[in-house]
Amino acid sequence: MILSSIKTGLAQVWKSKRMVLIFFLANLSFALVLMLPFRAAVSNFAGETLMGTKLAGHLPIDFIFELMKNNKSLFSIYGTLFMLVPASYWLLSLFLSGGAFATFARGDGYSSPAFWAGAATYFGRFNRLFLWSLPVFAVLLCLQFLETGFQRLIFGSDPYEYVKYWGGWVKYGLRVISFVLCAMVYDYARIHVVTTGETRMRVSLWHGIRTVFGNLGRTFALAFGLFLCGALVLAIYNPIADSLAAPNAFVVLTLFVLQQAYMLFRMLLRLTLYSSQLFLSNKLAGAPAPLEISTDPQGLEGAAA
Amino acid sequence: MESKTCTPRLLLTLVFLLLPISGRSQEAPVLFQPALSPRIASYNIEVTLESAQKKLHGRELLFWHNQTSATISELQFHLYLNGFRNTRSTYMLGTSNPVRSRRIKEDGWGYIEVDAISVSYDTEMIPSLALSRPSEAATMIADLTDITPEIEFIQPDIESPDDKSVFSVPLPRPLPPGGKVIVAVDFTAKLPEPPYARTGAKAEYVFAGQWFPKIGVHTDGQWNCHQFHSRTNFFADFGVYNVWITVPEDNVVGATGLEVAVTTNDDGTATHYYHAEDVHDFAWTASPEFVEVTGKSQDVDIRVLMQPDHADQSQRQLEAAKLAVRYFQDWYGDYPFPNLTVVDPRRGAAASGGMEYPTLITVGTGYGIPAGMKLPEMVTIHEFGHNYWYHLLASNEFEESWLDEGINTYTDIQIMPDAYPGRGNFLNAMGLVLDIGTYHRAQYMGLPDADPVNRTSWGFYSGQSYTVNSYPKPGLILTTLQNYLGWDKMLEAMRTYVERWRFRHPKARDFFDVLNEVSGENLDWFFQQAFETNSILDYSVTRVFSREVKPPKGFDHTLSTVDSDTALTRTDKENDSSLAAATDETDTTARPDSSSPGQLYESGVNIRRLGDFKFPVEIEVIFENGETVRESWDGQELWKKLRYTKPTRLVSATVDPDGKIPLDVNLTNNSKTLEKQTLGVNKISSRTLFWLQFLLEAPETMHSFMLLNDIF
Repeated sequence: MILSSIKTGLAQVWKSKRMVLIFFLANLSFALVLMLPFRAAVSNFAGETLMGTKLAGHLPIDFIFELMKNNKSLFSIYGTLFMLVPASYWLLSLFLSGGAFATFARGDGYSSPAFWAGAATYFGRFNRLFLWSLPVFAVLLCLQFLETGFQRLIFGSDPYEYVKYWGGWVKYGLRVISFVLCAMVYDYARIHVVTTGETRMRVSLWHGIRTVFGNLGRTFALAFGLFLCGALVLAIYNPIADSLAAPNAFVVLTLFVLQQAYMLFRMLLRLTLYSSQLFLSNKLAGAPAPLEISTDPQGLEGAAA
Repeated sequence: MESKTCTPRLLLTLVFLLLPISGRSQEAPVLFQPALSPRIASYNIEVTLESAQKKLHGRELLFWHNQTSATISELQFHLYLNGFRNTRSTYMLGTSNPVRSRRIKEDGWGYIEVDAISVSYDTEMIPSLALSRPSEAATMIADLTDITPEIEFIQPDIESPDDKSVFSVPLPRPLPPGGKVIVAVDFTAKLPEPPYARTGAKAEYVFAGQWFPKIGVHTDGQWNCHQFHSRTNFFADFGVYNVWITVPEDNVVGATGLEVAVTTNDDGTATHYYHAEDVHDFAWTASPEFVEVTGKSQDVDIRVLMQPDHADQSQRQLEAAKLAVRYFQDWYGDYPFPNLTVVDPRRGAAASGGMEYPTLITVGTGYGIPAGMKLPEMVTIHEFGHNYWYHLLASNEFEESWLDEGINTYTDIQIMPDAYPGRGNFLNAMGLVLDIGTYHRAQYMGLPDADPVNRTSWGFYSGQSYTVNSYPKPGLILTTLQNYLGWDKMLEAMRTYVERWRFRHPKARDFFDVLNEVSGENLDWFFQQAFETNSILDYSVTRVFSREVKPPKGFDHTLSTVDSDTALTRTDKENDSSLAAATDETDTTARPDSSSPGQLYESGVNIRRLGDFKFPVEIEVIFENGETVRESWDGQELWKKLRYTKPTRLVSATVDPDGKIPLDVNLTNNSKTLEKQTLGVNKISSRTLFWLQFLLEAPETMHSFMLLNDIF
């Protein structure tokens, strides 16, 4: 069921390639907003020096310290940008996810009106759903403290360092699992909103929790599998990107292309996850083929009925 | 070097072979004959550890020799553990952010009390008492005068009425130059728990540093016995130490010097007798959990006492210690002692790590530290280095901390890249690459000009300023000097310094004098700026240009393009007398090849000295045709302009092109190019863009930064 979900998910994403591009461009443009002041500072600081060329090789750490020391205003700019941009991006992603879920629920590939209508229709509900979900997230994130408790129980307050070390890794793993679970609950709840037109977010949240924990093996395997896939490709990407260090325009261009290819892959992965989860959710609910979702915002409320 | 150390070590081996396996040694285990140091302050100490309370019950016999030309009427002692007595001690008042320690538990405060102190002038007894346990010797000493009521706590440096880290006690009668005195002290100490600033206890682990009443140094006609400040190391006279340490029988003990004998007692304890010669401090440690590893490097026996959870890193520590011994002996001269003990602090007791004592160092590691993270190796090399710069050369760390820490940082910067060649000789793990020099430079750049380097340790603007001026800045100053003098000359100077001043108390001036002498150059201009001022060193290429030389216009010019252009420049300069005094302008004019009537370019480079620190620099100018010109500038004036007329355009100009001046606070502004350099800017922007994209997309991965906190 998991493999067929991924297969179906991928097929759905393939039919909605433009949507991948929308997500990718959204990500790129927000990152550009964050990056441009940095680029301006670097260009101003080192653009007319030999360091400007040297930076194309391995990053000289000295330069980073000097940049920080001599560009203090940059950090005050980033103090604000790091608050605003990620928050705005998160909201935009949430907005776009409504369109994505709606598109996948329809099952007939990307259509601009349906996508944007879905995005607009569910944005408010997804925000409310997020607020409802916060206590659930808090509980799930407390999962990591199981390790702290067990460590204290078994090894006392003064454990050997190897206990702390491996315990730390367990805690890290639990945190990763918590994040995956939070995302899963939120995804299945959103799927419920889109597929049923539910307006009471506590109901959808409850549905999300039941779907995730009622079918934990399958739902977790699907989400964690795709998560691992992303991590694996990142692990392959990193040494390749590190090795692309030479004062050569082709190398720099190759690096840029590789980076954007990876980000495109991440977007593909994210949308595949949405689509696969929707398929799995339908399967688990015994629902038939993709639902007809109206592009009419008024009609969307009862689309699944 | 070998022949010099061979005799005492052979002697030592023979002596120890003849010693009884247990029981009190009555034979003098002679390490060095003749003595290596003046042996002004020698101690026989018995100490018993009361494990549960972390208390030390001690009895001390001090044999003090007045080798000054002054008549001494009082003695002054350090009681360092009283720095941890309460929140009102000088130490605690100066500690706004105690980085070396954790918060002391309610019952974890440390202290030291002098229960009784008495003095005898019965110096005839000294030879027979030399190896006697104080409890037995007390009955043998005649004429003991109790001076306990005369004890007065003093604060010689700063007003701090609750501080009890120094006391003064008048002598019953003055001690003339050359005179000797025996001081018997009974004391009780409690070690802070967990360890605080280098000393203390944690559960079964004990590290006793600065744990006994310790006499100050009488120098320059007065006592030099400073309060225990939060930002200071120590200062003491050399002597011979015989120490009997009684701890639970199952404890493994490590200490300064050599273990002569171990006696088991009826009460489940054991007494470890240690002997050390020509040292100026004594520290010891005990724990039933130590895992012992031994090895040898050149002629030095190394004993590593590891914690069980770090046992897998024993070889790593041992190899670092071996390497340190080898490098220091090869580069800086003989380490005359037969052994070195390396102590790995217990978990939760890291504040006792990274510290030096004669022949004993404490290091710092952690379970799971990857091989590419060379911090444990660096700490071991650094702490062993102190056995030269703090131990052999016992400078006053209260007043000139850089003479120890700074020179030691300099030697770290030399040894680490040689011992661990390649990128990331300090850190090459988890995608992070950092060299030792860069690491120190980053610290230095944090606060390069808050104070001059040469200050009393409590006189710095802040803890950060003390750190910068005691460690990285002098390390970089000396690296800069080395690049100026050349490796061989600097090495010769360092060796001469060690050889000439070993077992004495050198001051900064003595170090400077050796460098002046060996280099054959008066470097005071450098020392004055580097150590006595807060001057910043920053040279910058501020402008480069290249423009076509156009035919001259107007009246009274010659027809020759090149000559007229040069003449114009000269006229400009002559006309501006105010600038002429502050400039040093060089015109390098190339006459074009008459056979090739190509275009000529006038190129220029402006270099400015942005800081007050004046230092000679080289300037490299590169032209489009590949021609490279090197110029020298003494760096005295505020700026220099270079002018060239050549049939080619200028590409770039770099001040200090070989990177010989790590003291320069801004290396990026050391060069200027004619064309905008976008390649590197695009590369770093591209990489930044990617990680921003990634973090926007997967913000939850930020939690990975918590991992280091979780596992270490």
